[in-house]
Amino acid sequence: MLDQFIEGFGMAMRLDTFMMMSFGLFGGMLVGALPGFTTLMAMAILLPISFFLDPIVGIPFLLGIYKGGIFGGSIPAILISMPGTGAAVATSRDGYKLTQQGKSRKALDMALFASVLGDTSSDIFTILMIFPIAFLVMQFGPPELFAVLLLSLVIIAATSGSSPLKSLVMMMLGLWLSFIGTDPLGGVERFTFGLFDLKSGIPLLPMLIGVFAIPEIANVVMRNEKAKHLSSLMGKRLSKAEFRRCFRTICRSTVIGTAIGIVPGLGQVVAAMMGYSAAKNASDHPETFGEGELEGVAAAEAANNAVNGPTMVPLLTLGIPGDNVTAILLGAFVAQGLRPGPQLFEEQGATVFAILVAMVFANLLFLVIGYLSIPFFSRLVTIKVSILIPVVIMFAFAGAYVFRSDSVDLLMLVVFGIFGIVVRVAKFDVMPMVMGFILGPPMEYAFGQTVAMTNGNAFGFFFGERWGALSILLAIPVIGILLWRRMRAIPTG
Amino acid sequence: MNRFTLRSTPEIVVLTVLLALSLLGLAFIDMLVAPPKLLFGRALSALAPSLFPSIVFTLLAALCAVILFLLNWQGGHENEGGLTHGEWRRGIVFFGIMTLYALTMQPFGFLISSAVATALLSWQMGNRSWLQAVVLSLVGPALLYLAATRLLAVSLPELNVIELAYARILGG
Repeated sequence: MLDQFIEGFGMAMRLDTFMMMSFGLFGGMLVGALPGFTTLMAMAILLPISFFLDPIVGIPFLLGIYKGGIFGGSIPAILISMPGTGAAVATSRDGYKLTQQGKSRKALDMALFASVLGDTSSDIFTILMIFPIAFLVMQFGPPELFAVLLLSLVIIAATSGSSPLKSLVMMMLGLWLSFIGTDPLGGVERFTFGLFDLKSGIPLLPMLIGVFAIPEIANVVMRNEKAKHLSSLMGKRLSKAEFRRCFRTICRSTVIGTAIGIVPGLGQVVAAMMGYSAAKNASDHPETFGEGELEGVAAAEAANNAVNGPTMVPLLTLGIPGDNVTAILLGAFVAQGLRPGPQLFEEQGATVFAILVAMVFANLLFLVIGYLSIPFFSRLVTIKVSILIPVVIMFAFAGAYVFRSDSVDLLMLVVFGIFGIVVRVAKFDVMPMVMGFILGPPMEYAFGQTVAMTNGNAFGFFFGERWGALSILLAIPVIGILLWRRMRAIPTG
Repeated sequence: MNRFTLRSTPEIVVLTVLLALSLLGLAFIDMLVAPPKLLFGRALSALAPSLFPSIVFTLLAALCAVILFLLNWQGGHENEGGLTHGEWRRGIVFFGIMTLYALTMQPFGFLISSAVATALLSWQMGNRSWLQAVVLSLVGPALLYLAATRLLAVSLPELNVIELAYARILGG
């Protein structure tokens, strides 16, 4: 294995690899920063380009787009409260508040540094521990996945908003919204009310834009904040003292993100929320989270980027993509003649290690490119609102449309925007709703698979065989109550 | 001594609506969820499609009822931070423009609908410079349209005549 690693390291040290990675990083950042447009879209479109490149050039190119896109997605989340992905939702909670306080540059700097640190650490960990991680991956099945997803929902509900009870209400609402469409197990229609447009369910992107960005924009419009110079919103760069203060949080979130990245199907959304919740729980001043706390941005970004390295392990060793993006990478691997699976390291070990090493160097390039790009992006907040708001709305509508090329999504965007305003006035937090919406289907699917595995005897199965899953399930109420007390729940909010 | 009083705050209205919806959902679940598909008399899926929705509706109803009870029992804050008439008016105009934008994008195309929407929004936000409004509403959508369709190769709805014109200009 050491020989393969050394050979792979040498293979990765190519000028064209670094150039294409840089191109991918900047392109991914640009696309990710466009409100409403996603990295997944950019990767899918540019995938054919990678077919004409050497594997050691083409795959790092796609990885560059992926990494750049994750950070790029946090830019609109921080600057205009428009998270383009579920993973950026946690970032927008404190990031946008920081922008409102005139600290947008600090927030962007922290997002960049936390992302790079989290990603680099988890990539190095992956290289060193790839075989033990592969063994762990094989121990996770549907029961464990169901248990971890349920645990994630409980933690999110206990640590979000001012009242866990109200957070649970929103989470239940999100779960119900996720049921609209076709049942993931049996393929039957649920809550479609006979409407054809609801058969494929409610799309995520219009909902995200509608509940997060539209209420913020509407708030500016309704309060009649006319054209004004917003240069004060840029603020100063992140100081060393501020970074040192958040270093422990970044380390904690990196561990959380790395652990979650090992499990196929959990992904960045769960990692970001768990990292954020853990940071809030461990903080001496949890009440500052959600009000413009740099640690909140650091925790979410470090965790959701730390997923990237371990996510590659089930992909490379078992051929199992953990999410849509790794599914595209799987397509790239196959097209390049790499057969992910247990035999990959025997047949093409050096190439695999070359790709993993390239991932580490991509983070270093990412740090430089991101650091140079931030002043450009942070200046967006200096644009007059009479120009910025129409442009943002235009991007939002375009992004919502291209998601499924369905004009009904635009109406959903408006409806969720109105909904976002209503719940905001009623002092509800929408984040648990969004998390319930995202995690509901995989949780139901995992439980269905568990029941199918046991011929209906899921209860006996958990108690008889899957001790790991059972342990997590039994721990859920305990953890929930402990977190609830820690957050000093007040039922009336 | 706590008194059970009925108040009408946005919080209570939302919770009441959610409680009503969840109870209605539970009552009519068989009509809202299609029965499972059967093959030779056995359900194709291990879980009934109405199981998780039923659990969620039950929990939602219970939570709403508990919070409503506690809110009214504890009394407390009045409707604070509400919107003024002017704010409501601006909000209605804003969402009216957004609804118009959503309804006109498919029939009139991205460029025309975006031009109208950006001009209206810019005007609502206080921009009284005609030149700025014209430039914003013509140049912005055109640039985004070109970037989306040419660089990202995604489709945006557009009138045939405009798409043909772009194709001729760009030589495509």
